[in-house]
Amino acid sequence: MSFQKRLAAKEFAVLAEMHTPKGINISRLVNDARRLKGRVDAVVVPDMDNGIMRMSALAGGVLLQQQGVETIMHMYCRDRNRMALQGDALAAHVLGIQNIIVTGSEDMSESDHSDAKTVNDLDEVQLIEALMTLQTGKDMSGFDLDGAPDFSIGCTIGSFADDKGRDEALLATEAKITAGARYVITPPIYDVPASADFLSRVKELGVPVITTVFLLKSLAIAQYITNSDPGANISNELIRRIRKSSNRELEGIKIAGETIQALKEKTQGVLIQTLGWEHKLPEILDVAKI
Amino acid sequence: MITAERKPLEELIEYIKPFKRILLLGCNECVTVCAAGGRKEVGLLASGLQMAMLKNGSNIEIRQHTLERQCDPEYVEELVPMIDSADAVMSMACGCGVQQVAMRFKDKPVFPAVNTTFMGASERQGVWAERCQGCGNCLLGLTGGICPIARCAKQLMNGPCGGSTGGKCEISNDVDCAWQLIWDRLKALGLQDRYLDIIPAKDWRSGGGSGPRKIIREDLAE
Repeated sequence: MSFQKRLAAKEFAVLAEMHTPKGINISRLVNDARRLKGRVDAVVVPDMDNGIMRMSALAGGVLLQQQGVETIMHMYCRDRNRMALQGDALAAHVLGIQNIIVTGSEDMSESDHSDAKTVNDLDEVQLIEALMTLQTGKDMSGFDLDGAPDFSIGCTIGSFADDKGRDEALLATEAKITAGARYVITPPIYDVPASADFLSRVKELGVPVITTVFLLKSLAIAQYITNSDPGANISNELIRRIRKSSNRELEGIKIAGETIQALKEKTQGVLIQTLGWEHKLPEILDVAKI
Repeated sequence: MITAERKPLEELIEYIKPFKRILLLGCNECVTVCAAGGRKEVGLLASGLQMAMLKNGSNIEIRQHTLERQCDPEYVEELVPMIDSADAVMSMACGCGVQQVAMRFKDKPVFPAVNTTFMGASERQGVWAERCQGCGNCLLGLTGGICPIARCAKQLMNGPCGGSTGGKCEISNDVDCAWQLIWDRLKALGLQDRYLDIIPAKDWRSGGGSGPRKIIREDLAE
């Protein structure tokens, strides 16, 4: 069943994130995807939105589709103007990618090309509107297209540090949904009971909610996220659990799997982020009994 | 200087429609020089707005005032005695001035009366042209005193593109080809060899690539 059909049928969807290589060696990407075939509903391919110059998501997405893995491609506004974004969207459709997540991006100053010029010709809401316009057979300037594409557009909720930031993030998400996004991806959830209020607020947006589950690969990463992202809600208890474990790597996998299990009845799906440890995804899915 | 052009009257009327008492502010600096928002333009706009509003059957009170420099908090303080008697402020200064007033008087609606356009120079009476984009890392020493970022339509740093005709840019006959100007100038200075030096990919961090910019002069800052 395709990702879209699963969402429409209100069945729990499992997505996994896979990054394209910084280079041309695609063997790891392709092998990881093959290993996951049939175990996840779709693979999300980020672009350079995290600020690392790498092979484009469009190429990565096409490669995965060729392996028989349904793909969801990231699009964002920092690096491309409206011409390039529309052109890539048309190319994506033609090459078989119709799932697009419109997302934010790291600031250029935080990227590995911090001297580059920022584009930001459109913002996320405007990009969603542009994609909606393309589907009507017109481009942003009102010119006719020779064949209209068809997309399923999702959006993300930006990460936030406090209640005020959370309210702003939800408000911005509402605008993205009004513009045409059909589902929403949350920031990582580490503590399901503590996130109940937030998740119920997200559900009020009226579209399917996909929660992100981030693999805590080590104690240092968990501590780093706690310190740098106060809105992440990583409890002391969770930190203690990783610290006490004799096999911290396995503990992180267990935590991710258990989080997915806990979210099964609460949301419409999960997006699993492993940040370079995609080969661990089958183990996480085993723990989650998926 | 910073250049600006007045917004259409219809747009300004939409801004002030809900209000009865308007404080209309001019600035004695750049917008005076480019005849967009100085004392004279404040007077003209006040009459224009009053007439237009009267025509629509509403009577508004417009108080006119022109500050020496609206981007400077010291001068903005002058407005303290008059701000309470206004329902809203309309500023004819550049965007810097508008924001300075809005920041000082947080409970007062402040509207822009001009569109801030570019940093430019006067070519002749009544004509201003863009000369600088404030990239924060001036290249003029390499390009014969002519800026390819502000004056080349493609912002080529190793031009020309080949699209110019008779020294004019392919986008318009009214626009000089910046690279033709650069070449002519380097030749006149006997610096043709410099043309062959490749200018590397620019570091845009200083040009706003790292977000809003700020200059802090430790020797002056309080």
